[in-house]
Amino acid sequence: MPSLRELQRAFSAGVFNELPAELAQHIRAGRFPGPQHFQIYRNNVCESLTNALKAVYPVVERLVGDGFFRYAADTFMRTHPLSSGNLHDFGDGFAEFLESFPPSQELVYLPDVARLEWAWHRSYHAADRAPLALKALAAIAPAQYADLKFMLHPSVQLVTSDYPVLRIWEVNQSAYAGDQSIDLGLGGVKLLVIRRQQVQIESLNEADYALLSACAAGATLAQAAEAALRIQSDYNLILALHRHASSGVFSDFSC
Amino acid sequence: MSDKCVTPLPIPAHAGIGLRAEHYHEVIDTLPATAWLEVHSENYFGAGGAPLVYLEKARQHYPISLHGVGLSLGSSDELNLRHLQKLKALIERIEPGLVSEHLSWSSVDGRYLNDLLPLPYTEEALLHFTQRVQQAQEFLGRELLIENPSTYLQYTHSTIPEWEFLTEVANRCGCGILFDVNNLHVNATNHRFDALAYLHALPARKIREIHLAGFTVNRYTDGEILIDTHNARVADEVWALYRQAIEKFGAIPSLIEWDADLPPLPVLLDEARKADEILENAHAVIA
Repeated sequence: MPSLRELQRAFSAGVFNELPAELAQHIRAGRFPGPQHFQIYRNNVCESLTNALKAVYPVVERLVGDGFFRYAADTFMRTHPLSSGNLHDFGDGFAEFLESFPPSQELVYLPDVARLEWAWHRSYHAADRAPLALKALAAIAPAQYADLKFMLHPSVQLVTSDYPVLRIWEVNQSAYAGDQSIDLGLGGVKLLVIRRQQVQIESLNEADYALLSACAAGATLAQAAEAALRIQSDYNLILALHRHASSGVFSDFSC
Repeated sequence: MSDKCVTPLPIPAHAGIGLRAEHYHEVIDTLPATAWLEVHSENYFGAGGAPLVYLEKARQHYPISLHGVGLSLGSSDELNLRHLQKLKALIERIEPGLVSEHLSWSSVDGRYLNDLLPLPYTEEALLHFTQRVQQAQEFLGRELLIENPSTYLQYTHSTIPEWEFLTEVANRCGCGILFDVNNLHVNATNHRFDALAYLHALPARKIREIHLAGFTVNRYTDGEILIDTHNARVADEVWALYRQAIEKFGAIPSLIEWDADLPPLPVLLDEARKADEILENAHAVIA
């Protein structure tokens, strides 16, 4: 008789690989032979994890179709074990998985679409926090500005891609009814994902992206401004800060 | 949060419905006549955002029951304290009337299978499961309800009938029982045992909540099996068992569970109305 631990290890191995003989002999034959009863669990686990992945990556699913998605999900769930009882955590790393998944190599933009969908998912479940109040900034002496560190709102995610993934994302929303054509020659994008009332995706120019990426990495305002100015020599920092602060991109700053 | 919960609201002995994301707006906007709502705890484990906003709004108008599917109480791993901590924080935020989990396991060696997997009903598993429920109750500082699971296999080395296992857990831990009538019907059909004998063996004083749901029949060339899919109306056989349950246990809070192929809200409310009719008879008998 297997111990509880032995049984659970054999069960888990049997769901993702072959059913171990030492477990098979402890499953009672009922309406069907024992292994057929076990097969129901293999199906249920596979179905529920596939559905969980589909819920996070609906655009990837539309792009590749149900059959391909299931095949990818099946491989992904075997190689990327879910390490918590909270299903929201499942799907992390799907973009990187698609990058090296041989069957999707021709869809060069697919990993970035997945990256955008994961950013959306994280933004949706991010912590609530009030956006930075502009008047708090007014209390700071201008001489101190250079050393300020601006913190991005918890719901903010920054995404960069060499492909027009925002256009791909929009065209593949279920409510979208416009022109379906996508010109991959449109080039890359820098995107801001943020939750206000709802999760929104906005295009950023290169300099804004550099500024916000630096802030996200913990840079001071002087360092972040330098990063933006390297890309755009006439970058108007004051206007940019005001624009981002008033649209809720920052939640706080520290001196 | 502006929508602050005021006081914990007990779950009344009437029918409630499962609240799912697709119905958030309609429930908040129309406040349908249902006595209480139940949600899956883990759907509210995110740090913030829309799900918690809606749940707190719903909590302004209804008693809430938290039903967990991911605590993996039966796992031979250490109890997942991160998961318990999240549940505790949610309990403090929502102040639910009931908190429930399953007689099952979902993970081993830190890997989660996202399913309610069957335990062998052995003395070893009983001792283990009992300790885990006690540990969880101590951590949360409150009573848990444990639900009888739907199972699709039986182990040859199980020595304790499921009803006895569940009753022992309830007696040793002082926890309550969430009696899922649909799961009993599914199991009794799949494993060919007498559902009524099981029902009558359950300890009436421990039953705190009842679940009702629909199942699917999977047909194969060499036979068929019932799968607990929560995607349909409650079957006639399950209503019949439910009547027997209410006759034996009295009026118990009863939930219409529906998770897949979610119908329009009025269908859920119609199912809840049927449960309420049966509960009304029990109330009348007691009165």
